[in-house]
Amino acid sequence: MATAKKDPKKSPTGTKTGTSAAKAEGAAKKTSEPDDAAARVAVEGFADSIRLGTESSAMFAKAGGLAVVCLAVSAALGASEGDGFKRWSYGYIAAFGVALAITAGSLFWVCLQHLVNAKWSVVVRRIGELFAANMPLLAILALPVVVPVVLGNGVVYEWADKTKVASEEILKHKSGYLNPGFFLVRMLFYFGFWSILARYYLNSSRRQDETGGSEIAPTMTRVSGPAMIAFGLTITFCSIDLFMAVEPRWFSTMFGVYFFASCVLGVHVTLILTLMWLQRRGRLATTITTEHYHDLGKMLFAFVIFWAYIGFSQFMLIWYANLPEETAWFKQRFFGGWGAVSWTLVFGHFVIPFFGLLSRHIKRSKALLAFWCFWMLAMIYIDMYWLVLPAINVEPDVRAMDLLALLGLLSALVAGAAREAGKKNLIPTKDPRLEQSLAFENI
Amino acid sequence: MSDSHEPQASESGPAPLHGLLAEYTTTGDILRASKKVRDAGFSRWDTFTPFPVHGIDRAMGIRMTILPWIVLGAGLTGLGTAILLQWWTNAYDYPWLISGKPLWSIPANVPIMFELTVLIGGVTAFIAMLVLNNLPMPAHPLDQVKRFARATDDRFFLLIEAADPKFDADATRALLDSTRPHAIESILEDRKTSDKLPTGIIYALVIATVASAVPFALAAKARYTKSRSTRIHLIQDMDAQPKYKAQRENPVFADGRSTRVPDPETVAVGELHEDDHFYRGTQNGAFARTFPPTFRVDETAMLRGEQRFGIYCTPCHGFGAEGNGMVAKRAEELAQGTWTPPSNLTDQRIRDMPVGEIFNTITHGIRNMPAYGPQIPTSDRWAIILYLRALERSHAAKIADLAPAERTGL
Amino acid sequence: MAAISDVNPFVSAPVGDNAFARITDNVSRIAEVERPPRAWYIAFACALGILSIFLGSIGWVVWTGIGVWGTTMPAAWAFPIVNFVFWIGIGHAGTLISAILFLFRQTWRTAINRFAEAMTIFAVMCAGVFPGIHIGRPWLPYYMLPIPNQMDMWPQFRSPLEWDIFAVSTYATISIVFWYMGMIPDFATFRDRATTFWRRLCYGVVAMGWRGSSRQWHRYERAYLILAALATPLVLSVHSVVSFDFATSQLPGWHTTIFPPYFVAGAIFGGFGMVVMLAVPARQFFGLKRIIQIRHLEVMNKVLIATSLLVGYSYMMEFFVAWYSGNKYEAFTFVNRAFGQYAWSYWAMISCNVLFPQLHWFKAVRTNPIATLIIGMFINVGMWFERFVIICTSLTRDFLPSSWGYFIPTKIDFMTLGGSFGLFFTLFLLFCRYLPMVAMAEVKAFHPSAHAHEPDHPVEHTGQAPVGI
Repeated sequence: MATAKKDPKKSPTGTKTGTSAAKAEGAAKKTSEPDDAAARVAVEGFADSIRLGTESSAMFAKAGGLAVVCLAVSAALGASEGDGFKRWSYGYIAAFGVALAITAGSLFWVCLQHLVNAKWSVVVRRIGELFAANMPLLAILALPVVVPVVLGNGVVYEWADKTKVASEEILKHKSGYLNPGFFLVRMLFYFGFWSILARYYLNSSRRQDETGGSEIAPTMTRVSGPAMIAFGLTITFCSIDLFMAVEPRWFSTMFGVYFFASCVLGVHVTLILTLMWLQRRGRLATTITTEHYHDLGKMLFAFVIFWAYIGFSQFMLIWYANLPEETAWFKQRFFGGWGAVSWTLVFGHFVIPFFGLLSRHIKRSKALLAFWCFWMLAMIYIDMYWLVLPAINVEPDVRAMDLLALLGLLSALVAGAAREAGKKNLIPTKDPRLEQSLAFENI
Repeated sequence: MSDSHEPQASESGPAPLHGLLAEYTTTGDILRASKKVRDAGFSRWDTFTPFPVHGIDRAMGIRMTILPWIVLGAGLTGLGTAILLQWWTNAYDYPWLISGKPLWSIPANVPIMFELTVLIGGVTAFIAMLVLNNLPMPAHPLDQVKRFARATDDRFFLLIEAADPKFDADATRALLDSTRPHAIESILEDRKTSDKLPTGIIYALVIATVASAVPFALAAKARYTKSRSTRIHLIQDMDAQPKYKAQRENPVFADGRSTRVPDPETVAVGELHEDDHFYRGTQNGAFARTFPPTFRVDETAMLRGEQRFGIYCTPCHGFGAEGNGMVAKRAEELAQGTWTPPSNLTDQRIRDMPVGEIFNTITHGIRNMPAYGPQIPTSDRWAIILYLRALERSHAAKIADLAPAERTGL
Repeated sequence: MAAISDVNPFVSAPVGDNAFARITDNVSRIAEVERPPRAWYIAFACALGILSIFLGSIGWVVWTGIGVWGTTMPAAWAFPIVNFVFWIGIGHAGTLISAILFLFRQTWRTAINRFAEAMTIFAVMCAGVFPGIHIGRPWLPYYMLPIPNQMDMWPQFRSPLEWDIFAVSTYATISIVFWYMGMIPDFATFRDRATTFWRRLCYGVVAMGWRGSSRQWHRYERAYLILAALATPLVLSVHSVVSFDFATSQLPGWHTTIFPPYFVAGAIFGGFGMVVMLAVPARQFFGLKRIIQIRHLEVMNKVLIATSLLVGYSYMMEFFVAWYSGNKYEAFTFVNRAFGQYAWSYWAMISCNVLFPQLHWFKAVRTNPIATLIIGMFINVGMWFERFVIICTSLTRDFLPSSWGYFIPTKIDFMTLGGSFGLFFTLFLLFCRYLPMVAMAEVKAFHPSAHAHEPDHPVEHTGQAPVGI
């Protein structure tokens, strides 16, 4: 259990003794010195520096610049193909899948922590809230996907093209759902709802930092129930609209769950890597302990298995029944060059990280855990690539513009989170469960 | 600090000292005492608690058990067993094609790979826990101590064994005293209870082990020997069924047959087929050259005929009735010698054939063409002939046969 | 209930000078008391009566053949498989509570995990009976095992039904191991409290000489954690494999990729429904209100809402994709479910599984034991109907209208279904009478006074105590 061990050394309230404060400060000093004096100001009795300070604007500038450059170069390369951005759009959608998995995953994760009243994760939660708050940014980044559809350009989504729909019975059948107007309405609803929910959680949590109001935490918990239902439905249909509808003839009832598995992986990878970066910058040096990394690592491990379970079930059932309208999708992905990608996923997304993350020693070692996080991030991208690209490429074909789009989108998320973090707290300082989270220990 | 319980002296003088037992009432006390004993460098000592006390592993300096690695090995063994088992039985020893799947179907083998991994891993975790813990442990010197019963209830005990190299009756007692225990007690070796199993039980176990091999030995013997007697059939399954099968003798009827023929001079309802022309394709004993008057020749019949022809005739005769259907082509490819090719129905021979004869052929079959009478209703057979006639006509069609508007469309 | 509590020997407060002793006393005396409450005898007599119906009907089925059931083409699976899936689903909650909630550090599980595990095992036993008799020749089940035989044949490992054999037997084995291992320390407690020779001998043998050594606890905890980690994917796999029985086919309404997680969610849902259904009377009649508190019922009811919504999500996805796929057979099947000949069972399923559990959104409902009991019953009915809907609507309305039909159960069908509850409750009542109903050692380990690390500091209660005594 989350042993709510009382450890006076780590008590965040002002009652701690002078010696323990000195100890904690010493620990903070060992890590690299934060460059900003404001960040060193102890807040609410914390010895740790819990604000990004000027690091925020620096990071925003760096990551934001990188994002703009990458996306611009990627788009330029796409234009140079001379195919009306057709090839570029597929690569962009695959990269967008990773960005959506991270952002929507963060929102889900924050919501879940409130729903189950989790104690261990309180110190980590603000990071999740910051990444979830990227939703409006992500909505803007979705424009290259949404706008062509609305304009009736079937460059990626055939069903956006009226003449194509008229010529094919199955597309005509689906046009009640797959049509540009309804697609736009749905997209507005998904991103609108997610943006509002993410903003609600971040703002409530920050209001709690300021006022410490005891009613805020229960309210957030109450909101999380219905919010989770709406999230489950929106993420399902959003993944169907964006990814499954790339090949509109194929269908799978499991698809929403399959994408959801990537969302949960995405958020844990993001949380672990962000915390490691923050600690390298001297933030939250003693707040986040090996125990928190261990727990995040366990969740990562669990969802590596969950992904395999969902992926295998979806594949095996379609493979076994072998119905032409379903099995063609896997045939394209298991024969020829894509077969190698599929096997890369089987081993790289499941078998290797399964054994890699099995031992507790690995989950408790920062360097190894970081390695597996980068590994899994790459695998999430390969998974998205494998979902989207076979629709256009008979053989796998990785272009610089695809990778630049990925780099650009991820940098945009980092820039967005850094800007949002600003000069405010990186942990919810007045959360009633904070003390238990600080003292958290795994069994 | 009291020694309430004085151990009993046995026949051969007082039993040797087993160790010193200290009792505590809270987890905090036992943790502090454990740290002290650990730091004093003892090796043969233990604590006894009603539940796993959080932090006692560290307080006692217990090192991580190797159990997880044993389980990992067992799990991998299970995985390997499952792979070998499925490969050997389904792909090697008893290759049997089923539902179009390869003999060695990895996706279909994954569920059992997983199950056996978990089964062998899980059972091993339990057994390894017992073995590493020396369980079952029927007897222990502590069983003589009345207060020790509370070790499984609400008290915490610490035992330092006399066999520990650092053990010194007085110094160790002083050490335990300094941990502020609720009570301290000297434990003597138990001479009354044997820690060996009674011989009777051992013999029983040996006999049971040997006896359990007998059925397997008998099975193995039966597997590699031959016998003339039929196998023992304990449960009769459906061997005896209270019914009469065709061609069997039936004592109920005078003629002894179990298959009955209809009574003479009787016709089943709706089976009185008097119209020879319609039902048999004959007129006055010869094959009819015209369609029966009860069959309406119109477009509906023609379309019906086309559809039925497509279903029943094309596999062999082909869509153009030229005798080149899929089955015919395949049979020719195999060139097995027993195949009689289907007729080209657009031949002059068939064109000249009376419709009644064609009807007869469809109904009763010819050469290796089976009888379609039982499958195709009578009017549908006529519709097929009607369509066949149209096919033959189209086969010999000239451009002049088309309407002028259609000629340009060619 | 008041009349029964007059004869209930458990109403008095548990004896003991500290919290641990009181926990021991509260749990142990249920098995130690000479005469259990009258309610137990009444229930046991009823359960035995129902069990005899079960044995009688099975005997009749074996003696005459399975033609005495309504199971016939096209509904070749019908009741026996509905019942099998229903019971195996019930059996999921136990391992879920013991393993998954253990890994998620949900301390509230300690109040209910033991009897949920027991429930699991008994439910799996009930489940195992049905395929056993449905094969028609219950004396030949060894055909399904990979053992060398005189026919020189091996089982077909590409068949989902063969996977079932492995999944269900693995699940039964691991559940029993997990359950038994959890009980070893509690058996030791029973042994040490025993006042008669036979009690001491019996509990002593099953306790295997456990004395609570910390060095043993260390390996024990590690093994328990590993078993939990193994049992977690196992519990997911079992119902997934059961769902493969359906989903690998091409039958409309069966072949859908969401089946594995959907079945798992449904199984957890049904299992939790059964747990609350048993927990309410158990705490009432055995004086366990101090251990199984209203708070625990509330948490379980929240899990019921969540799983009810997951099941509802699957129903919705199936409907949506049936339309979206453009497959006429698939679309027909789902319209047929909702408005066809079995519409009554479909709407029974929807209302029991998706609508009624939503009442738990109200705190007044989910903290009320009677409402909990009633909704738990509805859920069990609904989950039975879910399997009925899946099996019967699809089998009786497949691709060819010529092979359509309508399944009508016979008396014997109902007797085997009803009778299986007799087996379940007989075993459960025996368990309540003779085995430790609550995991005492675990409850103690999570009690606040188990965390008094530094006696110099007063014990601080962070949050609510997991157990109130």
